[in-house]
Amino acid sequence: MLRKSSVSIAKNRLRALVISDRVSCTPDAYDNICRELYEALSKYMELTEEDFQVDINRTQVVITFAGEET
Amino acid sequence: MGEVIVITSGKGGVGKTTTTANIGAGLSKFDKKVVVIDTDLGLRNLDVVMGLENLIVYNLVDVIEGTCRLKQALIRDKRYENLYLLPSAQTKDKTAISPGQMKKLTSELKEEFDYILLDCPAGIEQGFQNAIAGADRAIIVTTPEVSAIRDADRIIGLLESNQLRKIDLIINRIRMDMVKRGDMMSVDDVTEILAVPLIGALPDDEQVVIGTNQGEPVVGLDSKAGTAYMNICKRIMGIDVPFMELDSSTGLLSKLTHLFKKD
Repeated sequence: MLRKSSVSIAKNRLRALVISDRVSCTPDAYDNICRELYEALSKYMELTEEDFQVDINRTQVVITFAGEET
Repeated sequence: MGEVIVITSGKGGVGKTTTTANIGAGLSKFDKKVVVIDTDLGLRNLDVVMGLENLIVYNLVDVIEGTCRLKQALIRDKRYENLYLLPSAQTKDKTAISPGQMKKLTSELKEEFDYILLDCPAGIEQGFQNAIAGADRAIIVTTPEVSAIRDADRIIGLLESNQLRKIDLIINRIRMDMVKRGDMMSVDDVTEILAVPLIGALPDDEQVVIGTNQGEPVVGLDSKAGTAYMNICKRIMGIDVPFMELDSSTGLLSKLTHLFKKD
């Protein structure tokens, strides 16, 4: 029986902490931000949830999505 | 014209002071004129780590308040030709000096020294603001722990919002046996999250503890940390040095030692 490595737990906790520190909100607010941004943008653009990603770094909120395939 | 480097971390106890002492000693070995300044008012430590605690007459606050001349407060480290320490005050608190005064002091020192290293206190209060005021660049020290990395991320954000954008990262006290087991974050894990350039990765080396006990820097000694600190100094000076293998079982150093032992 393999024990789950504690590094993966640490990394997940750290990601949530760092994002909430960067935007001064609670860790689960990140999920809400992502969802609301998706809902807002999908009114105007063709988006799929799988291809939609929000990254928050220290000075930017970066929204990435798969564009129209050519 | 010298360069002012602040060594900071946010969290306490990650090795800022030891790092400052070793980088200071290391840079002076390259014939650079170096001054290390302890900016932690009230909690003087750098002098002890460097083994110069018995030589203190004047301190940082005395210089700022004009009680003595700058030259009188600088302690020369006899073991290193070009290394000087400006100790902190043990009886004053962080409000005794201001960011403006620190900026003035560091710009004066820049005239005479190649490197001015500031050992920053833990936290993000006035002591931190004082330490970063005159800095041209920053070195963040962290350990592979959630709390230390989180604080490092906050510090990086604060430095960037203070227009200090030349920021490098040192990851301290890495235990490769634990990294291999998946029980300690690796260098890659940490740099991925913090997204600043890595300037050094230090193994958890008992030689550092021994050095601190004796008040002697380990930089340049024949140990992993000694080599790693030396490499950091070279990178600070702009020399491109490959990162050493931290894993003792496959490291070049141990391979070589192994080779020589056979003969």
